[in-house]
Amino acid sequence: MSETVIALLGQPNSGKSTLFNALTGMKQHVGNWPGKTVEKKEGNFEHGGRKYLVADLPGTYSLSANSDEEMITRDYIASGKADVVCILADSSQLERSLYMLADYAGITVPCFLVLNMSDVAKEQGKSVDAKELEKKLGIPVVSFSAPDTKSYDIFYKTLERAVSEKTVLDPAGLEKRYNSIGNYDSIKAIIPDNVIPGYSKTWLAAKAVEGDAPVIAKIRTALTGENVKALDESLSKVDKGVVLTGECKFEWIDELLSGTVKNKESGVSLGKFDRLITHHIWGKPVVVLIIILGLIASFIPALPLMGVGQLIAKVPDPLNEAMLSAGCPAFIAALICDVLLRSVSFIVQMLGFVFGVTLVFGLLEEIGVMARISYVFDNTMARFGLQGKSVMPFLISFGCTMGGAAGTRVIDNWGQKVLTIALAWAVPCGAAWAVIPMLSTLFFGAWMPVIICVILLVMILHMWITAKIFGGRLVKTEDRYGMIMELPPYHKPKWGALLRYVFGRTKDTFIRALKVVIIVALAFWLLSYTSSGDITASILYKVGHFIEPVTRFFGMGWQTFMAFIASSLGKEGALGVLSTIFTGSGTISVGSVVSGAAAENINELLVANVPKPEALALVFAMTFNMPCIVALAATYQETHSAKWTARIALYYTGMALVIAGIAYRIGLLIW
Amino acid sequence: MKKLSELGKDSVAVIKSLDGDQRFMSRITSIGLTPGSTVTVVKNEKNRPLLVYSRDTMIALNRSECEMIGVEIGGKTA
Repeated sequence: MSETVIALLGQPNSGKSTLFNALTGMKQHVGNWPGKTVEKKEGNFEHGGRKYLVADLPGTYSLSANSDEEMITRDYIASGKADVVCILADSSQLERSLYMLADYAGITVPCFLVLNMSDVAKEQGKSVDAKELEKKLGIPVVSFSAPDTKSYDIFYKTLERAVSEKTVLDPAGLEKRYNSIGNYDSIKAIIPDNVIPGYSKTWLAAKAVEGDAPVIAKIRTALTGENVKALDESLSKVDKGVVLTGECKFEWIDELLSGTVKNKESGVSLGKFDRLITHHIWGKPVVVLIIILGLIASFIPALPLMGVGQLIAKVPDPLNEAMLSAGCPAFIAALICDVLLRSVSFIVQMLGFVFGVTLVFGLLEEIGVMARISYVFDNTMARFGLQGKSVMPFLISFGCTMGGAAGTRVIDNWGQKVLTIALAWAVPCGAAWAVIPMLSTLFFGAWMPVIICVILLVMILHMWITAKIFGGRLVKTEDRYGMIMELPPYHKPKWGALLRYVFGRTKDTFIRALKVVIIVALAFWLLSYTSSGDITASILYKVGHFIEPVTRFFGMGWQTFMAFIASSLGKEGALGVLSTIFTGSGTISVGSVVSGAAAENINELLVANVPKPEALALVFAMTFNMPCIVALAATYQETHSAKWTARIALYYTGMALVIAGIAYRIGLLIW
Repeated sequence: MKKLSELGKDSVAVIKSLDGDQRFMSRITSIGLTPGSTVTVVKNEKNRPLLVYSRDTMIALNRSECEMIGVEIGGKTA
């Protein structure tokens, strides 16, 4: 038997992703809808001997044609791929969240309704009679609460019923109200059969009244001359159709809910935490504090993995010697120890952080805190074309860019997610903070704090320019409207589903990062490999020397340029490379790059060999270079776009050189 | 008729009209703010988004957008 396809449809905050994660666990695949900047999530599960494919449709507020997300959702339903559509509504805000159901009415693809978050509704003293709603709608209705394991049995039963009975939502009650809109009847009468498969005349007529351009265009092409005129004439008489149908939809919802919902009158007030976070002075500091605490909390699950990574790092040196003494060719020993093992060690150390960030911030998202963060920073982030949530990845990136990239998972718009990552790269990460102040003190002494301040200013300018350059293509102008968002009630987390999801994503990140890191590490290693151990025999040296006239333009000689290249693999690595070059011993290897091992007298060597303006150029080039290979891999993992990952990486390399060039020239003026 | 943005904290009003482009009207309708619905202003401070409560939902709205929403004071609390 082939698999049954369920499509999940619901407004943002309806608990759709929680249900998706709970159903599919680690069996998820994420990609993009063909040719669109919208994320596509699918997953599998089995129940009762039947295989299911779950398509998590993009979270939208309605089925109108205002965004790519909504068009994809409509097209998917029309494609006939889904056997049944699972519509989600929030029981605690039933009246508002049933809007999606009302907008679905008139679509003939079988469906059922999940009244999610029944636990929250119960706490608020609300109860819904699902059986009564079923009678009125003609489709199965189930009360559901993600943290409650008993809920799932009823969910599966309801799902099976909808699939076997092919239950279609009855739009008669809603249509009665549509009839009161002048011209609805005449428009519906003109519409021919089968304009869009799965969408009835009732639905099409309502959308035409709303002024829905793609629907009107479809109807027009299906009509002949005279009828087109009649349609245009009827449509021209409708004013603010979307408001009229909206009123009808809510009247219908009110009628559905009368007698089925018991609602204890509750006063309107903000909780303590919400009062604090919406405070015009304290809101932002509180959010920043929450994110910093979240960052610290991320280290708790991260530490054990970091320890494992450091243990792996101890293996290569003794193993290398053992292999050599066992007669293994030096080339192969170096390949295994220097390239493979050190790459794995590097990734595992960072992976702990990804795990921690995904868990902690996934939890904050699930309980409803991220929505508040989004609210507080919406106005600020809107200047970059981003949503308020983007502030979180930016702050995390001060610790680790890979963690920042992982944190963008809570951003539900793909374009904004990619733009957030692109901007987060400009934030100097923990490794930069370990190297840059030290280098600055070494060369510029008491001027170090000034340099740090300039770096922070350049960071803001860089982010602003980057938003200008990439923003237009990633976030369309029509998607940049003022905030209209709900602050959802707080929810209990579903720990099991969350953990399975976090493990799944961490595993995916590991595999993807390993691929990228090994390829890049291998390439770098081959370029820098010499059989004699003399750096000047390597390809890297020859290329570096050859293009030195060009790199000089950006203020860097071949030695510092090597360090710059190494810093795009890992910031700490730049020191190791400079050490190797100036002491003239050993090869530059991935090992020396990621471990940052440097000669003891590296400080004197640097000051003796690198003039101040060049050092200034190096400091800026390193800071604003690509953060590291693992960040590159994480970017690819989160954006699932090789094109955008490459674009961002090349852009950062170029920008770093430009900034270095400017710094060098300023340095020449000073010294 | 007043604009939603002119209402002070704790005022209760009924939405009378919506203006603006198709996109805005569609979006504001889908979040439940339609003519006839009752809204309670929870927070209205300068330079900050408005917080209103309607249909059991706390909604944050950009100030400039609130100028497109016409309301009449009164109505029972939502």
